[in-house]
Order: sequence, then C-alpha cells, then structure tokens
Amino acid sequence: MEATSSSSTMARQRWELENEIVTTDDPIAASSAVNSPDRIYCYDEAANARTQQEKAWTTDPHYFKKVKISALALLKMVVHARSGGTIEVMGLMQGKTDGDTIIVMDAFALPVEGTETRVNAQADAYEYMVEYSTINKQVGRLENVVGWYHSHPGYGCWLSGIDVSTQMLNQQFQEPFLAVVIDPTRTVSAGKVEIGAFRTYPQGYKPPDEPVSEYQTIPLNKIEDFGVHCKQYYALDITYFKSALDSHLLDLLWNKYWVNTLSSSPILASRDYVAGQIFDLADKLEQAENQMASSRYGSYMSSSQRKKEPEESQLTKITRDSSKITAEQVHGLMSQVIKDILFNSNRYHQCMPDSSGPEPMVEA
Amino acid sequence: MASSSSSGITFKLHPLVIVNISDHYTRLKAQTLHSGESSSSAAPSNGGAAGSAPPAPPRVFGCVIGVQRGRTVEIFNSFELLFDPDTHTLDRAFLEKKQELYKKVFPTFYILGWYSTGSDVEESDMLIHRSLMDINENPIYVLLNPAIIHSQKDLPISIYETELHVIDGNPQLIFVKSSYNIETVEAERISVDHVAHLKPSDGGSAATQLAAHLTGIHSAIKMLNSRVRILHQYLGAMQRGEVPLDNSLLRQVLSLLRRLPAIESEKFQDEFLMEFNDTLLMTYLAMFTNCTGTMNDVVDKFNVAYDRHSRRGGRTAFI
Repeated sequence: MEATSSSSTMARQRWELENEIVTTDDPIAASSAVNSPDRIYCYDEAANARTQQEKAWTTDPHYFKKVKISALALLKMVVHARSGGTIEVMGLMQGKTDGDTIIVMDAFALPVEGTETRVNAQADAYEYMVEYSTINKQVGRLENVVGWYHSHPGYGCWLSGIDVSTQMLNQQFQEPFLAVVIDPTRTVSAGKVEIGAFRTYPQGYKPPDEPVSEYQTIPLNKIEDFGVHCKQYYALDITYFKSALDSHLLDLLWNKYWVNTLSSSPILASRDYVAGQIFDLADKLEQAENQMASSRYGSYMSSSQRKKEPEESQLTKITRDSSKITAEQVHGLMSQVIKDILFNSNRYHQCMPDSSGPEPMVEA
Repeated sequence: MASSSSSGITFKLHPLVIVNISDHYTRLKAQTLHSGESSSSAAPSNGGAAGSAPPAPPRVFGCVIGVQRGRTVEIFNSFELLFDPDTHTLDRAFLEKKQELYKKVFPTFYILGWYSTGSDVEESDMLIHRSLMDINENPIYVLLNPAIIHSQKDLPISIYETELHVIDGNPQLIFVKSSYNIETVEAERISVDHVAHLKPSDGGSAATQLAAHLTGIHSAIKMLNSRVRILHQYLGAMQRGEVPLDNSLLRQVLSLLRRLPAIESEKFQDEFLMEFNDTLLMTYLAMFTNCTGTMNDVVDKFNVAYDRHSRRGGRTAFI
C-alpha cells in the first residue's frame, strides 16, 4: 500500500510539472497571516484600482499572454456547457489581472441562449449580470467581470465571425476582457478538456505572422467562418490553479470517483458525435476529390507547384482528422476490452487467482 | 447527537458542490485575514472574526440545489448565503433573490437544503435548519470540515438529515448522518481529473494521449485492486479467527462475488464483438485514407521529378 501511494505521488508530481498545474504557492513576506498558497484569493482593492488606471494593455495589442483559471471556474464552465447539450450556452467570468496574466476566479451562467446569430445576447443579460454581481459582492465575491465564455458543442474552440465582433466591441469598452470557448462534446469524446482563450486584435492591426498554433478539426460547414477570421485573434496559454483545500479535497475525491473513471465508456457517450465526424470526413474527402480531379489535367502542363499546396494539405488534413477520430475510438474500445477482461473473466481460462468484481460504494 | 440515518434516501453529491464550498471558504478566509492585517476597508465576512490575533476562520453558509426523484436526492450545485451572526439566521431576502437568479439559468433545480463549514454540527444549526423547512419540508444539511488533515482517507463531508426522535418524552428533531455517493457527469469527471492530477493539457502526440488514457485506467484499477486486497485480508483474518465473525458483512461479500461475471449472455457477446469490429473497421478506413494520402504524395512527387523528361505529349496516365 505504501509503495503504490508513493509511486502515485511521484507520478502525479511529474505530471503536474509537465502540465504546469500550479497549486498557488508563492512565498509572501512573513508578516502576512494569510496562508501563502491561497494568496491569490485575496481581493486587493488598491492594486485593482491601480491597474485600472494604468491601462497597460493599451500599449500593446498582444499584452496579455497567459490565463490562469481556477478549478472552480473550469468546473462550472464545463458543467454548464455540457448541460446545454447541442445548444450554445454562454456566461461570464469574474477575476482580475496580474501583469500580463488574466486570472479567472469564478464563472457564472447567463440565462440567454447564445445562438450564433444573436449579437445582442449580451444586452439582454446585462440586468442579470448587474444583479448577480451586486448580490455576490455581499458574499465576498468582490472581483469584477473579466471576460465571457461560451460553448461550441462539437465544432471546436475558435472564434466565429459574430464572436470576433462581439469580442472586439468588448475590448473597446470593457477592458480587460477575455473570450473563452469550450467544446463539451469534444471534451467527452477525447477525454480531455477542450478549451481555448482568445483576445482579438484591434481593427486593422496586422499581427507579426505567427503560424496557427494547434490544428483543429473544423466541420465543413464552419470552416469558411473559421478561415475568414482566424487571423483576427490570438490564443493565450491556459494554466490552472487550485487552493490548498481544493487539492486536499480533490485528492480524497479520487478515492471515491475512481469507480466512475473505470466505468465510463467513451464510445457510448460520443456515438452521435463520432457519426457526425465521419459524415463530415466523407464530405471533405469528396470535396478534395473534386478539386483534385478538376485541376489534375491543368496542373500537369503548367508549373503546378502553387496548385499542389492546397490539394496536398487538404488531403493531409483529412488524414490527420481521420487518425484523430480513430485514435479516440480505439481508446474507448480499449476501455471496453479492459472492463470485459476484468469483470467477465470466467470466460478466459487463464484467469488471475484474485480476479474479482466491483466493490459497492458502501460507507462503512 | 448524530446517529445513522434510516430514512432510506440515497444521496448523490456532485464534485462541483464540493469545489464550490471549498472555494467559498478559501475566499472568505483569505479576505478576512487579509483585511485583518491591512487598514483598508474590510471585506464583509460571515461569522465572527476575532480581533488582532489570527482570527478563527469564519464559517460560511450557503444553499444547495438539485433534484429529488423518488428516493434519490441528487445535489448538483450550490450558492452562497448571507448569515447574520447576531440573530443566527440566514438572510431571507437574499436567499430569495439568489434563488430567482439561479432559477433562470437552471430551471429544473430547486433548493434541497443548506451547507456550512465546521468540524461538527452545532446547536445553532438547528435554528437555521428549521427556518429552511418552509421551502423544503425535509432539507438536508451538508457539512464540510475544512481542516486539512493529511492522514485523512475519507472526504470530510457529511450529510445530515433531521429525524423526529422522542427524547425524554419530548419529540425532538435531531440531526442524523446519512451516507452519500459521488455522482459525476462525464464532462465533470474529465475536468475534475484534469484539475486534480493527471491528464495532459494539450494534445501531445498520439503516444502521450494514449499513455494518459491508459494511466487513468491503470490508477483506477490499482484502487480496485487495493480495495479487493483489503477485503481478502479481512476475510482471511476472519477465517483464522482473529476477527469476530460478521454475518452481514459475509453476506455482502457473497452478493458481491455472485455478481461476477458481469454479463455472460450470447447477445452481449455478439454486440460486444460487433462494436469491436466497428472500431477495427474505422481503424482500417483511417489507414486506408492515410495510405491514399501518401500515395497521392508519391504520385505528385513523381510527376514533378519526371515532368521535364516527358513534357512533349508525354504520358498522362500517371493518375
């Protein structure tokens, strides 16, 4: 038992290092009675007023580079996004800034349906937002609204045209402001959180040319929208933090929900999504084929280096998409097979001497 | 004061509630301590904070909301409440306003009870509990113990219900502890996992993703294994006579073992293999696409390489 716990702590520490999950841990001067791990939770009115006056972000459109999201905010946003099903939902985030980092402490949902065509969803939500913020100040949530989040169920984390215009408006009048996009469907399918944080460039600003950071599968009907606007915003790095009590509780929580980890079946949960993705892939293949067929004869005679680029990269993209979706399926299948071996082992003649079944969750 | 509940209601608690309460507590603790040392305007605090000495961390109060279906109570979310330390009551108007706001976003949830932090149930809690009884005739009380004790193995969260007991001839309401399960939606589990420990933040190569996925399952299986070993050792001790026989426990273990194998019918086998084959088919298709892409590349490169040699009416049959 000791060996397992120490190896798991080592493994966890290694992962935490690799994935930059920081337990807020900055050493502060001795006089402070505050637990240094939780310093980030203190709301410093004076410092906040100072940053508001300085407005350091007006000097550089690329000023904010990092985002720190609290465990609570992430959980709330993901749960809210998932609860919307296939409908986009949206909400606001509260927090503060710290140099070039935007810190998101909390998030709350807005009672508006964020369909892609309604730019004015935010106007409707102002009353709710004001009431919620004032009420929350009384219970100690003193931070200001520092951004908004919405979900793109099934089609990836990026800003659509409407999103870009909304965010540009926000960045003019409500600085500092951040846009976060969550994809709950892909989160469930891939088994990791799909989230992206973005800030738009001001109108007419030409960014120093940077390659598109991480390639994403975008369904065919959205790919135009993505392509037109993808140069108008940039992504920020996201890290997460949690308080000491949070870490402690989450550790203990693992003792309970390992059952859920083992019993989750990703294949089952994301069946519709996978079917949709395959359809989409088929469409893209057809499109690529048509393109290639039409330009094949022409390209042979002319210097076809230019034309080759889009065709090849399209097929490569399709290949990458298909590999990704297949990898996810294979992971799901592996879980199923493992569960089968564990719990249906009577069928296998070489069963382990201490094979056994799930323990009921009894609070003894 | 607290004994074991016998109402037969099963409680399901979502991790979001736990993180919510913990965050509320951390926030208020940080703020009261921070304002205790600085002379700027103090943040409002719930419960009392002492003067110059490090103040006792305040108790926080709030409401839990969720759904009750039949005999299952599922607690989904929670929000904070104002507490008046003088009269020991919760601010009612505040509660109504907050409830209204939450109803707009989560219309299916209603107030199931309230929560607080502390190490044990206190007398004043009964007053608060009673005041909530007009909203929900059987409210539940969730208590979180925020003390971080590293040797602790169990979640420091207890759920209390009230029962009418006759004590010294007077019927009185007392708190009784109930057991609960942790229930997660798939997305919740993934994000809790992500923040808690092990998943990589960005899609690394396929190898790292595979490693992450398998590591998660591996840890879960390790837990299962350790639990089973404990049972095994306990049973062995019972057999040797070191531990007194406990028939109810033996019955439970027997029912547990009877549940293996989980499913054994023909139909299940067929369905399972079909799913297996479907996934293999997908893999085959993906490999095919991969091959086609590579072939396409080869053909293009070939064309470029031999373009000069066969420019005049050359072979167009490379497609």
